[in-house]
Amino acid sequence: MERFDIAVIGTGPAGLEAAITAKVRNKTVLLLGQKTSSDKVSKAHQIQNYLGLPNVTGQDMSKAFLDHAKEMGVEITDDKVNAVYSMGDYFALQCHGGDYEAKSVILAAGMSAMKPFPGEMENLGRGVSYCATCDAALYKGRTATIVAYSPEDEEEAEFLAERAASVTYLPQYDYNGSLGGNITVVPKVKPQSIEMTDGQAVLKTDVDTYSADGIFILRAQVAPSQLVPGLTMDGNHVAVDRNMATNIAGLYACGDITGTPYQYIKAAGEGNVAALSAVSYLAELAKK
Amino acid sequence: MVKKINQNEFNSMDKSGVSVIDFNATWCGPCKMLAPVLEELSEDMAGKVNFYAVDTDENPELASQFGIMNIPAVVLLKDGQKVDMNVGFVPKPALADFINKNL
Repeated sequence: MERFDIAVIGTGPAGLEAAITAKVRNKTVLLLGQKTSSDKVSKAHQIQNYLGLPNVTGQDMSKAFLDHAKEMGVEITDDKVNAVYSMGDYFALQCHGGDYEAKSVILAAGMSAMKPFPGEMENLGRGVSYCATCDAALYKGRTATIVAYSPEDEEEAEFLAERAASVTYLPQYDYNGSLGGNITVVPKVKPQSIEMTDGQAVLKTDVDTYSADGIFILRAQVAPSQLVPGLTMDGNHVAVDRNMATNIAGLYACGDITGTPYQYIKAAGEGNVAALSAVSYLAELAKK
Repeated sequence: MVKKINQNEFNSMDKSGVSVIDFNATWCGPCKMLAPVLEELSEDMAGKVNFYAVDTDENPELASQFGIMNIPAVVLLKDGQKVDMNVGFVPKPALADFINKNL
């Protein structure tokens, strides 16, 4: 497998600037995200304080960013990252479309509006899980509740149901599937909180309460500390120093994910710093 | 070296000292990534800590005996008694800290 010098996750201003800077410094770059840059940029009405682009609309800014990246030979790989594992002297990236390896990683995935349910983080690994296929073996003869956010999750529910005694599936999207057998589908209920009572994972919703041996929450977007196991957070943001370095050697973060102010020019500036820090890290790594 | 064990081997083996058991499954992505990390730690800590791996699919009762609900789960035993547990992938320095603080 090709091992890239730098993998950049995110195609907003932070990620694009990081990829461009890495390219300028002659590094091999894997840029993962959306070919259309970031929705947060393209949907912006007007931006007044981006140097060199006065009163630009979000759409024009997005185009300017992508044109610049293209001109520098930066290619965007349209893929979604599920997890980044720090393996010592390299990182393993598990994505929807396949697996990749890189010597260093720049996290520029932005801020998601996702908020964990009360009780979710406290019981993670102790009845609450994000990976139904991982834990299926442990649910032989047991019961499980799944909170799902996309039709793709139906496959995971079926995999789990092959082993579990019964599964309650709570789709948080317009459900049109055909799940059956030992899977009970309960659409249109909103989960509110989770607690563990007598070894049972109890999910309270706006309608009813669901009790099972375990709860699986299958969100499209996961918190940065879930995306990169072992990552130190500062509240909802990734903790970084002035060099955009995180607590994991070789892993840098930039843009909205590191905290406020949520400004495009700040994100781009941090992307530049993160890439240069990664370049220094690679030089140190090569000496070893 | 991390030694793969099953239910019977666990029951009959010598459990004195500190042991680390990695509960995993073949189809679990994070488990696959954690395996080489544990392998390295087992070399670093050779003579101090015994490392074992258990396939939860083949040994569901052993997993349930230790209250494993999610994997990968690393269980730390002192003389056969569970003293701590870590769930999910963790980078090598963090996993080393987790083991060392229990030594």
